[in-house]
Amino acid sequence: MASAPHIAVIGGGSTGIGIARDLSMRGLDVTLVEQGNLTHGTTGRMHGLLHSGGRYAVADQASATECIEENRVLREIASHCVEMTGGLFVKRPEDTEEYFQEKLAGCAECGIPAEVVSREQARAVEPHLAKDIDKAITVPDGAIDPFRLVVANAASAMEHGARIETHTTVTDLLVEEGEVVGIEVEHDSGSGKRVHGTEGGREEIRADYVVNATGAWAGRIGEMADVDIEVRPSKGVMTIMNVRQVDTVINRCRPKGDADIIVPHETTAILGTTDEEVEDPAEYPEEQWEVDLMIDELKELVPMLEEARTIRSFWGVRPLYEPPDVGSDDPTDITRDYFLLDHETRDDLPGMTSIVGGKFTTYRMMGEEISDHVCNQFGIDADCRTADVPLPGSEDFSLLRDYMDEFGLRSPIGRRSVERLGSRAEEVLKTTDPNPVVCNCEGVTRAEIQDAIEQSGSDLNAVRIRTRASMGNCQGGFCCHRMANELHGEYDEAVARQAWDELLAERWKGQRHALWGEQLSQAMLNYALHATTQNRDNDPADGEPVDFAAFDAGSTPAQSSGESGVAADGGTEHGD
Amino acid sequence: MSDADQPTETDGEFNPAAPNTGEEFEPVDVFPDSDDFDLRPGSDSCYKCSTCDTNCPVAEVDDEFPGPKFQGPEQWRLKQRDDEHEIDDSVMDCSNCMRCDNACPAGVPLSQMHNTARGEYVSEQMDTWSIEYWRNRILSNYRTSAWLASKLPRLANVVMNFGPARWVMEKTMGVTKEREFPAFATETFREWWARQGGADASRQRARANRERRGEPVDADKKVAYFHGCYSNYNTTEVGKAMVRVFEQFGYEVVVPKQKCSGTPMFANGMLDDARRHAEVNVSSMRDLVDQGYDAIASCTSCSMALRQEYPELFDIPGIDDVAANTFESLEYLRIHEDLRGELAEVEVDGELAEEFAYHAPCHARNQGLERQALELFRDVDGVGIEDVGESCSGISGTYGWKAEKYEKSMEIGEEMFEHMAEAEGETGMTECPTCAMQMEHGTGYDIRHPLELLEAALVDGDGL
Ligand SMILES: Cc1cc2nc3c(=O)[nH]c(=O)nc-3n(C[C@H](O)[C@H](O)[C@H](O)COP(=O)(O)OP(=O)(O)OC[C@H]3O[C@@H](n4cnc5c(N)ncnc54)[C@H](O)[C@@H]3O)c2cc1C
Ligand code: SF4
Ligand code: SF4
Repeated sequence: MASAPHIAVIGGGSTGIGIARDLSMRGLDVTLVEQGNLTHGTTGRMHGLLHSGGRYAVADQASATECIEENRVLREIASHCVEMTGGLFVKRPEDTEEYFQEKLAGCAECGIPAEVVSREQARAVEPHLAKDIDKAITVPDGAIDPFRLVVANAASAMEHGARIETHTTVTDLLVEEGEVVGIEVEHDSGSGKRVHGTEGGREEIRADYVVNATGAWAGRIGEMADVDIEVRPSKGVMTIMNVRQVDTVINRCRPKGDADIIVPHETTAILGTTDEEVEDPAEYPEEQWEVDLMIDELKELVPMLEEARTIRSFWGVRPLYEPPDVGSDDPTDITRDYFLLDHETRDDLPGMTSIVGGKFTTYRMMGEEISDHVCNQFGIDADCRTADVPLPGSEDFSLLRDYMDEFGLRSPIGRRSVERLGSRAEEVLKTTDPNPVVCNCEGVTRAEIQDAIEQSGSDLNAVRIRTRASMGNCQGGFCCHRMANELHGEYDEAVARQAWDELLAERWKGQRHALWGEQLSQAMLNYALHATTQNRDNDPADGEPVDFAAFDAGSTPAQSSGESGVAADGGTEHGD
Repeated sequence: MSDADQPTETDGEFNPAAPNTGEEFEPVDVFPDSDDFDLRPGSDSCYKCSTCDTNCPVAEVDDEFPGPKFQGPEQWRLKQRDDEHEIDDSVMDCSNCMRCDNACPAGVPLSQMHNTARGEYVSEQMDTWSIEYWRNRILSNYRTSAWLASKLPRLANVVMNFGPARWVMEKTMGVTKEREFPAFATETFREWWARQGGADASRQRARANRERRGEPVDADKKVAYFHGCYSNYNTTEVGKAMVRVFEQFGYEVVVPKQKCSGTPMFANGMLDDARRHAEVNVSSMRDLVDQGYDAIASCTSCSMALRQEYPELFDIPGIDDVAANTFESLEYLRIHEDLRGELAEVEVDGELAEEFAYHAPCHARNQGLERQALELFRDVDGVGIEDVGESCSGISGTYGWKAEKYEKSMEIGEEMFEHMAEAEGETGMTECPTCAMQMEHGTGYDIRHPLELLEAALVDGDGL
């Protein structure tokens, strides 16, 4: 083979990134483009459940079987993204015994290990469960961090030679003689790592094959080549609690319905969700009643939720697809399975395949199938290795360490850092430089922030999803400026300022639906602090760079004449 | 739960100024019959203002100590409910002064978090063969040592402060040799009380006093005295003053069976020990509270333990009733008697006609009692009283006794020592026996308890 075929993958969600890793590990030349950050789409707005398959065991056994298979694979290859919390299907007195038995039987049929536990046993595991529940079924559900998983897949793909372009939007498909031969993209800020203020530009990327993995946006890409892809985007809300009220995934054991699951996620617990069809995957109403519904319903399982603090709510859109002939009215009836649409056989348009539907949990399996399909186009016979080779960060690592001895970190902070970094912990945290905590809520140190900046440039939202910095209870009130400060050295003031503004805006946005009680106090304190100490309510320096040289150096006491390193803004130079 | 229906959730009235007192969440026993609580939900109230950090006396002098915000809400939030999540060892550097509790504007249950974490650290992570463990255990079980010493008080006083012995204690146990052990009384308070005829005699005296005061002879005035270890074994004059003053006001006093309040045990994470003692205290106090007695302590840390720490940390039958009916001695009299009126009539002379340099113990602050002695005594003829400021004395019970903490303890106390030196008087006053120790150690002054002054002012010499 002269040179490997070049494949363009559109979409930096779990699906696209899984394909990029798989293809590049098989030796193909891959370029992946994503219009925002990695996980900008649905992947960054999902529930974080590593399905055991239990949820589909009655209604959608094909999906259930895929889930349990992939659940086992991800525990191995993505150990630093997965927390095996276990899950419970909890039956309340109102829920039918019949469904409970169906669930149990369904799990058995799909090979999902499931066991019945009494109320006492369930409450011994989860003491905050309601006192009046009947019983529960245990299943191997887990929690998974979508950001970490996607970033690790991207790192692996890049190790295998893939080019990953974020903040790069596909504006058109290049079609020549009835065949897709590439994509036209618009870079937001130059190619490579994102640096604010860098001039963007158009680029034509020619490719031997194009894979459309844009999820809920797949129809838009299709339109560019006049093919119809009937994605039916359906929105769902998720509400993030400040702390973990539960350490196990709690499902309500009843037929599909809204607000029936709580997933412990890192330091938080996430309540979800709803299922409602929307027109536009990027513009849809976000309503308070949806949040209220989460709490009202789920407090029947965990009563303390009623009084508990929420820190944020967010919505995601499912890229549901069903073949045109099915025609379900209710989005909850649409299958959760995925479909591979080869536009050559389907629409007489060679050179491109779309992949739609599916779940995060089965991203790797979807990647494998579509990679097989792409390889077939070129007669390449290469084995898929994504199920066997651990992701970067998921090689062997231990959480039982002396964090103070090894990294000079307080044990809860060291532990959280290693949970996030996995096998990369030594590489990132062993430093001789001062390593203060930058984000106190989540226990993120300077070393980890610097590592993220190295990966993602000046984009602080990209730093955030890598580290969880600013995702705790103060929602960035006390750390956004510190994170921006970490850009100093590599980047100048104007870049840091833009990145900081962008991060703050993103942090405020998600709090809109959490502004009562404690989070309202938090927001008021954040606002007051930012207004009074950072002039954030009316910053005269915004827009134009500050001319620091215009400030005088202040009066210089005679005795300190030797110290000329004092900057005009009163601070000493450090940190670079 | 939206903004719309939120306001009506609590008492029907929305009060934006009312802090969340932490009562909203009920910590759940993680395992039945144990004292392991899941306090993660407690961090919901924290909005990270750092007020607690700026009020922590240990953080001020100890750069290695990460402070109450980390130790409390942050550490708890990062924790998970498995054994693998270790408690950071810095929790042993907290002196349990509980200032952070008082400082927090949001009602975060800080000291409950510290105490619970410390208990977990000591029982799960601390080496029970270590010298530190045994040193802490001995220090916190002061009652046991004191009980032993009281058998031969004179000998104990000599031996405990014998130079070479102290050097050995510091080297082998880590107990600082800089401090003088408190003197043991030759007769304990309880021995004295028995000699006075106990509760029966008290009832007679109280009746006589009610009659003298023109009150109904069968008025329902009865209190159960929680003297604590220190008034029993060391400063028995405080205990005696308590009895005399209360009887003077017509209260019948009983002195029930009791053990250590647990304060030093909480500070050292010895929650099992503390629980055993608390069970005895609660069970004897509960019966009396049922019969209409109020529990009175003369030590502000003891009253703090009974009214706040017990219900926060333990689940013992009757604990809430006892907590709700526990008072500090002066506080109680100020509520029920016209103390100021009576003091306005008298003039103090004799030994206690002094200018006092008054220090409010941290635990008194937490109960809102830091002004009581000042407000009471400032207008009394023959005495003067001056507040020496709001700093912490630095000893915090056992903290200042640890060799590695001694210097820090004195550094914390520095501000108080300076203010005492500047104050007019050369006699100190405080409600807390260990603060008194520190005040004496830092200035050489004599230190008195407010009850002693009340006794001098209000009780005629010919009482009992
Ligand atoms: C509310 C909710 C909860 C969920 N919970 C779970 C769960 O707990 N467990 C689970 O396994 N699954 C869950 N899912 C499903 C799962 O999140 C999705 O199936 C999965 O994330 C889809 O990934 P994707 O890569 O296909 O799509 P996306 O993540 O949406 O990726 C598509 C990407 O394409 C990009 N893109 C679009 N147009 C362009 C363009 N023109 N140029 C460049 N880039 C473009 C988008 O920016 C986007 O990043 C949930 C879904 C929802 C909605
Ligand atoms: S109890 Fe005292 S020493 Fe401990 S953290 Fe609180 S303020 Fe600091
Ligand atoms: S004072 Fe209270 S609210 Fe403020 S940081 Fe401390 S614990 Fe949190």
